[in-house]
Amino acid sequence: MNLFQSITSALDNSLAKDPTAVIFGEDVAFGGVFRCTVGLRDKYGKDRVFNTPLCEQGIVGFGIGIAVTGATAIAEIQFADYIFPAFDQIVNEAAKYRYRSGDLFNCGSLTIRAPWGCVGHGALYHSQSPEAFFAHCPGIKVVVPRSPFQAKGLLLSCIEDKNPCIFFEPKILYRAAVEQVPVEPYNIPLSQAEVIQEGSDITLVAWGTQVHVVREVASMAKEKLGVSCEVIDLRTILPWDVDTVCKEECFLNLEAPISRVCGYDTPFPHIFEPFYIPDKWKCYDALRKMINY
Amino acid sequence: MRKMLAAFVSRVLTGVTQKPARRVLVASCNYSKDATFEIRNCDLYRLEGGPPVTAVLTREDGLKYHRMMLAVRRLELKADQLYKQKFIRGFCHLCDGQEACCVGLEAGINPSDHVITSYRAHGICYTRGLTARSILAELTGRRGGCAKGKGGSMHMYAKNFYGGNGIVGAQGPLGAGVALACKYKGNSEICLTLYGDGAANQGQIAEAFNMAALWKLPCVFICENNRYAMGTAVERAAASTDYYKRGNFIPGLRVDGMDVLCVREATKFAADYCRSGKGPILMELQTYRYHGHSMSDPGISYRTREEIQDVRSKSDPIKLLKDKMINSKLACVEELKEIEVEVRKEIDDAAQFATTDPEPPLEELGHHIYSDNPSFEVRGANPWIKFKSLS
Repeated sequence: MNLFQSITSALDNSLAKDPTAVIFGEDVAFGGVFRCTVGLRDKYGKDRVFNTPLCEQGIVGFGIGIAVTGATAIAEIQFADYIFPAFDQIVNEAAKYRYRSGDLFNCGSLTIRAPWGCVGHGALYHSQSPEAFFAHCPGIKVVVPRSPFQAKGLLLSCIEDKNPCIFFEPKILYRAAVEQVPVEPYNIPLSQAEVIQEGSDITLVAWGTQVHVVREVASMAKEKLGVSCEVIDLRTILPWDVDTVCKEECFLNLEAPISRVCGYDTPFPHIFEPFYIPDKWKCYDALRKMINY
Repeated sequence: MRKMLAAFVSRVLTGVTQKPARRVLVASCNYSKDATFEIRNCDLYRLEGGPPVTAVLTREDGLKYHRMMLAVRRLELKADQLYKQKFIRGFCHLCDGQEACCVGLEAGINPSDHVITSYRAHGICYTRGLTARSILAELTGRRGGCAKGKGGSMHMYAKNFYGGNGIVGAQGPLGAGVALACKYKGNSEICLTLYGDGAANQGQIAEAFNMAALWKLPCVFICENNRYAMGTAVERAAASTDYYKRGNFIPGLRVDGMDVLCVREATKFAADYCRSGKGPILMELQTYRYHGHSMSDPGISYRTREEIQDVRSKSDPIKLLKDKMINSKLACVEELKEIEVEVRKEIDDAAQFATTDPEPPLEELGHHIYSDNPSFEVRGANPWIKFKSLS
């Protein structure tokens, strides 16, 4: 299955297992602009898979309402770039519901899904990766998968998790990433990073599409510099797996300052995109400088 | 040799006589100076009177509107071509079919008035005064583009034209703000705030309505209803498809958006209403787009080819104006054909520029983030890459 098919499979499993589960968002009924919900309306009916008008704030607020009554709400925001009108609902309502009501109410059965990240031609409003905005908001969970197999397991965990979750799907991988994915449901635990490759000289931490970039950098480093890299996929951004990434007292033992490789401090550009993204050469460059620190 | 010479001479002679022949043709078509047309009555909401039901079109204006609509049409078709040739990448939302809206709106306001819309804006860019060259170069991301190549199709700007916005509905409160500035400065200017039938369901639009009505801002809200929000037909997204009534406490009128004269008269009416200090007004333009939502949408999975063909044959804005002008002797067929040839040349020349102009230099990646700051270093993709920001 490719990424969007694995998402469809996860949603299919959820709707089958949980009779209260509903999927809604812009254009989801015919299958969605990335085909993630193809066939679900025909299989489960139009009162379980339905379109909303163009209103992100409304979509999330509405989703919170459904979740508070105990039903499982799976809301789709058409592009992560459009999530900002819903920012207030997510941060001020969804994240704080359980805390402020003393556990009397909660919207834990809410999951928000959104296509995420750069795609080569998305420009300012179809390429953003806004996980950092949500990474400092206690009360919600933020998850980014790197592949179809990971996506299905993580999405099912998000849906079943008793906390509101935001699930960002790397849109560039929707069709490009293909692997064997079981048809039956399975879970991948949240807040657990995965060490994809063990190494001893330098640690590379990434999530989503960047995991693949960083893997390539690791093999370049091995080949050209003889450097052994440990590659970690963070998977859950919030709450993140501190223990796997930095063992206690690691800061005292580091031989070089931690280096952050990311997009530039500018809005996501239109024509400059190839220069903006942290491709393998920029990562490799950073790695070389760190090794030689 | 003699044959060639004779041929050459005859070619030169016909060339020489062609110009005066054209002028003779122009002179021989006995033109009227102007003509009066009946236009469709607008549906009114909370208004006692509406725009007039007849419009006077002078020959000069008619030729001007025809030329502008043709230019917009050719511009959009050229953009389609360039996109398929991969000179334009990313997103490209075309407005062919909706020419009467942008040309009619411009005809009803002054250049000193303000306009803001969302991303289906190439037509409005042209009518607001941008050259075809700067529009196409912006689409191809070159330094000759109106936003220096940094914005692309969805973010084009001109004097008194505030874009070109990606998040639909976000331009509603912005337009109300521009209108507030007009009122505050007391210069009798107004702001046209356009949005689509999809964005009409966004919360921000309702917030903008409330503020504009509360403070009596000179803002004309215009809903360009082309019946489909991407692939969603209006009946499936809106509890009420009478978009001109959705301002609730704001008076509204519903206008035939395929007739440039109807749009012009309605815009003049709405502009006068605002300028007289009565507050905001809402206009719904009923129009249609031939292309899909964007270049990645074939546009036929949610509507039939027959429907598109039907609109093209019965309500094409360019054809409607052309027929009116010819039937009332404001122009003749040959003259309009000449204009078509001129326009084609203008757009082809612009496309040539747009595909050969160089891209903006890489140093500009970090420019224009902030203003009036001493130039600082913009963090690049890793700690050792830095760009200079200039304002």
